[in-house]
Amino acid sequence: MTVQYIRPTDQGDLISALGACAAGQAEGIDTILRLEGGRLFGVARRMLGRGDLAEEAVQDAMVQIWRKAGQFRAEDGSARGWIYAVLRNRCLNILRDGRRLTTLAPEDLVALQEARQEAVPQEGWELLPGSGRLRDCLAQLDGEARHAILLAHVGGFSHGEIAGRQQVPLGTAKSWIRRGLASLRECLS
Amino acid sequence: MSLDPREMADDYVLGLMEPLEAAGFEARMEREPALARAVAQARDRLLPLDLSAPEAALPPGFAERVRAAIAAEPPAPTAANLPGLPARRWAPALAACAGLLAGLVLGWQRPEPEPLVIAVLLDDQGVPQAMVEDYGDDTAQVRFLADVAVPPDRTMQVWTLPSAEMGPVSLGILTEAAATRLEGPPLPRPAGRQLYEITLEPLGGSPTGRPTGPILGKGLAALQDG
Repeated sequence: MTVQYIRPTDQGDLISALGACAAGQAEGIDTILRLEGGRLFGVARRMLGRGDLAEEAVQDAMVQIWRKAGQFRAEDGSARGWIYAVLRNRCLNILRDGRRLTTLAPEDLVALQEARQEAVPQEGWELLPGSGRLRDCLAQLDGEARHAILLAHVGGFSHGEIAGRQQVPLGTAKSWIRRGLASLRECLS
Repeated sequence: MSLDPREMADDYVLGLMEPLEAAGFEARMEREPALARAVAQARDRLLPLDLSAPEAALPPGFAERVRAAIAAEPPAPTAANLPGLPARRWAPALAACAGLLAGLVLGWQRPEPEPLVIAVLLDDQGVPQAMVEDYGDDTAQVRFLADVAVPPDRTMQVWTLPSAEMGPVSLGILTEAAATRLEGPPLPRPAGRQLYEITLEPLGGSPTGRPTGPILGKGLAALQDG
C-alpha cells in the first residue's frame, strides 16, 4: 500500500453533479464517476476483497445516488462524505446479506475475509487516515480501540466480528469503540 | 439505545447499528435536521479513511452500464419533482396526515378497543404505505395506504422493535395487501417512538426469525391519548 494524500476536493463540482442527478440529468452521474469513480472502486475493493463484488457495489451506489441526490444537504456536510457513505452502505449490505455471500464458494469466502482483515493492519495503520488531524487523533487512542474503529470503518466488520477478531467479549469491543469514538470527537472538535 | 445524537451518528456511520435500529434511525433523520447534521459531520470526520483506499481503474464500459441501469429507473426522483421542498420539510405534513388518519381510524373503531400506538409506515421515498395499530394486548391491525405490489414468491412480514435488547420481533405474516388483524407473541406494552416495519420475506416468512428482505415501509409509533 502506498501513502495516499487527500486531493484538494472538487467539492463544488460534486455538489453541482448531485444537483444534476436530482434534476434527472444523467451527466451528474458521469461527473461523479469521472472525479471519484476510481477511488470509490478502491474503497469497495478494500472492503469486499473482490473486484466483481466491488463493481456491483459501485454500480448499486450510483443508482442509489441517482435516486436520492435530492436528499443531499450541502449545509450539513460535504458532497464527498455523502457519496462515500452511500457506497459504504451498499458494501455493508453485500457483506451482511447472508444469501448474497452464499453464492460464493467456501474458499472464496475465506479469501474475502482474509483480504478484509489485511486491509486493516495492526502495524502501519497510519496509512489509513492519511496525513491529517484524524491521524493525530487516532494516534492518541489505545491500540485496541483504534484497531476496532478501523476494522469497522475500513473493513466493514460488525461489533460481533470485531469482538471475535480481537478475542474479547462483545461488551468489551463495544465499549472500546464507544470510548474511542468519544475521544475522536473531542480531539477533532 | 444510547441517547447522545453524536454517539448514535457515529455508530450509524460506522455501520455498527443492527439493520432495524438503522432503519429507525434513518426515519428519525428525515424528521430531525439536527440528527441529519450530526450524521453528515460524523461522515466527514471519518472520510479520510475512505480517501486512503488505493484508486483502482473501473473496467471498460462501466460508465455505460451505470447509465443503462439508471435509464431503467422510474423517471425523476421524488425530490426532483418537488423543487424547493426538501424531503425533510414534508415531515410535519406527513405527521399531520398521520394524525388525521389516526383520528379517522379512532372514529371508525369505536366502540372497539383503541390502539395504544399507531405507526404510519413510509417507503424510502417518504410515501405512506401502511399503518400499524398496536393494541398492546398482543394484537395489531395492519391497513394499507397505497397499492402494494408483492412478488408472487414473497410474503409480507410485520416487525416491531420493542427494545434494542430484544431486537426485532415478528408480529406475523400477511398473505395479501389487505387489512389484517395480527396476533403476535406476548410483548411489553408498546411505547411511543417504537419502530414498526414491513419487509418482503420468502414465502412462509423470514427463515432466520429476523428481517432479511427489502423494507416495504417503516415508521415510528405515535402514542395515542387515553
